[in-house]
Amino acid sequence: MGIRTVRWLTAVYMIAFLIAVTWPGFLLFNRVTPIIFGLPFNLFCIALFIVFGMVVLSLLYHSEQSHDDEKR
Amino acid sequence: MERWQIIGLIIAVYLGVTLSIGLLSGRRASKSVQGYVAGDRDFGLLVMYFVLGASVFSAFAFLGGPGWAYSRGAAAFYILCYGVLGMTPYFFIGPKAAELGRRNGYVTQAQLICGRFPSRLLSVLIATLTLIAFLPYITLQMRGAGIVIEAVTDGNVPLWAGAAVAYGVVMIYVLFSGVSAVGWTNTFQGFFMLAIAWSLGLYLPIELYGGVGQMFEQIQAERPELLTVPGLTASGDPWSWGGYSSAIIVSAVGLMMWPHLFMKAFTARSDRTLRRTVVLFPTFQLFLIPVFLIGFAGVLYPASPESSDFILPFMILNSDLPAIVVGLFCAGALSASMSTGDSLMHAAASVTVEDGLGPFIKLSDQQQRRLIQGFVLITGLVAYYFAINDSSSLVVLLLTSYGLICQLAPPIVAALYWRRATTPGVAAGFAAGSGVAIFFFLTGYFGADLRPFDLHEGVLGLIVHVPTMIIVSLLTKPQPEACQAAFVELRENTK
Repeated sequence: MGIRTVRWLTAVYMIAFLIAVTWPGFLLFNRVTPIIFGLPFNLFCIALFIVFGMVVLSLLYHSEQSHDDEKR
Repeated sequence: MERWQIIGLIIAVYLGVTLSIGLLSGRRASKSVQGYVAGDRDFGLLVMYFVLGASVFSAFAFLGGPGWAYSRGAAAFYILCYGVLGMTPYFFIGPKAAELGRRNGYVTQAQLICGRFPSRLLSVLIATLTLIAFLPYITLQMRGAGIVIEAVTDGNVPLWAGAAVAYGVVMIYVLFSGVSAVGWTNTFQGFFMLAIAWSLGLYLPIELYGGVGQMFEQIQAERPELLTVPGLTASGDPWSWGGYSSAIIVSAVGLMMWPHLFMKAFTARSDRTLRRTVVLFPTFQLFLIPVFLIGFAGVLYPASPESSDFILPFMILNSDLPAIVVGLFCAGALSASMSTGDSLMHAAASVTVEDGLGPFIKLSDQQQRRLIQGFVLITGLVAYYFAINDSSSLVVLLLTSYGLICQLAPPIVAALYWRRATTPGVAAGFAAGSGVAIFFFLTGYFGADLRPFDLHEGVLGLIVHVPTMIIVSLLTKPQPEACQAAFVELRENTK
């Protein structure tokens, strides 16, 4: 994936994240059941968004780093 | 030996270890302002990770987080939501700021903004608002430390003495070793906090309810209003979606704009280190989940503490754990308070000298360093005065400090990315945004809540801030080409 694609992907994910955790996006996830890994469904979803966020960020890291290395 | 004496002894050992780490860490740093404030720009990944992570685990998260979960339920979830959002822009802004810092010798955030937009007024304005936002923050960290020590020693060590001892240690290592001490003690304290948050967060629900899932099932059966967002307000009424959502936005915008965090860009060894720190940072958000579990464990507990902020020490003391374990837990809570407090005191003093006084008096490097150390002492004493006296009104101030801090975001972004931004535009926007935030805060404080949709005053400030900055910038004369290019086109020029 090109550096621009990854930057766009990150931006899109972060905007989606923002919409998903605030009103009205979070209404979709705002339930207690099913309880997953001991956590209420809404709390579990937030945790999941954070984990995906880290995956996106590490993708961004590798793309930016190899981009910098090529330039050098 | 009595129970409280064993606990006290463990806390004393913990404080001793922290102090020695703090003092030893400063030996390698140079005796210059760069060494004292920016750690000679030589922090590696481990230290950067814990310096930034420890700030998330402040006394607010450690005492306030369980307190929120306990009394306001799902409202506390907002604390988890803003970390990733707030940290991501730093992936780009951080390395850029660091590069400018290396080139022009910046060690604070205002120096960076005023490097692009030369204005002594702006510099002083930023320094003043930073201090207004910092003071209640430091005070509450100190008070938190005092509360924990008083609670676990059955009142044998009163709040004033506990806060004095814990922050005496902080003061000594910050005075002698500067930011290196902040970095290395935060690393030690970080490990400590994590171990304690996880063990207690899992132990309490299992011990009291038979498991984390069972705990939530029981809460769902008896207090279902606590488990759906946006939860409750402090007075127990349902919280609004506007309040919940704008709290996330303001915190996300403000997170890395806190000067004690932003300034750490100048301490990183390389861009690679900074970026890796950003990628790993969200793990600290996940580490907050067990802290919330501690609070939720208190919900159906038959007895209750006098204030919801005491839920953590309350649950620890009522859990029939051996004194040694209780002592370790308390050391963890102290870690949370001290690792944030040290960073704040250090940043407050640096900002006062570099941005508040720096533009007006010419000082040698040696004098600046001395002056910063003097202000560390002054900041500590002022905060201590408020901490041991009644500081209930300060809690209200703390809630609004994010509203002021997030006003630093538009100037930073404009300085680094917008060519057409001008000094009058940025100054006008900053003043207007802060003014609006303060206006809505004060009217709310005196009983007339004028905020539409219960939005956070910081968001309202930004709504006025950004258009003001853009319009005034476009109406005033563009900056000289060289001045813009030095900041905006940095990346292209260096490679």
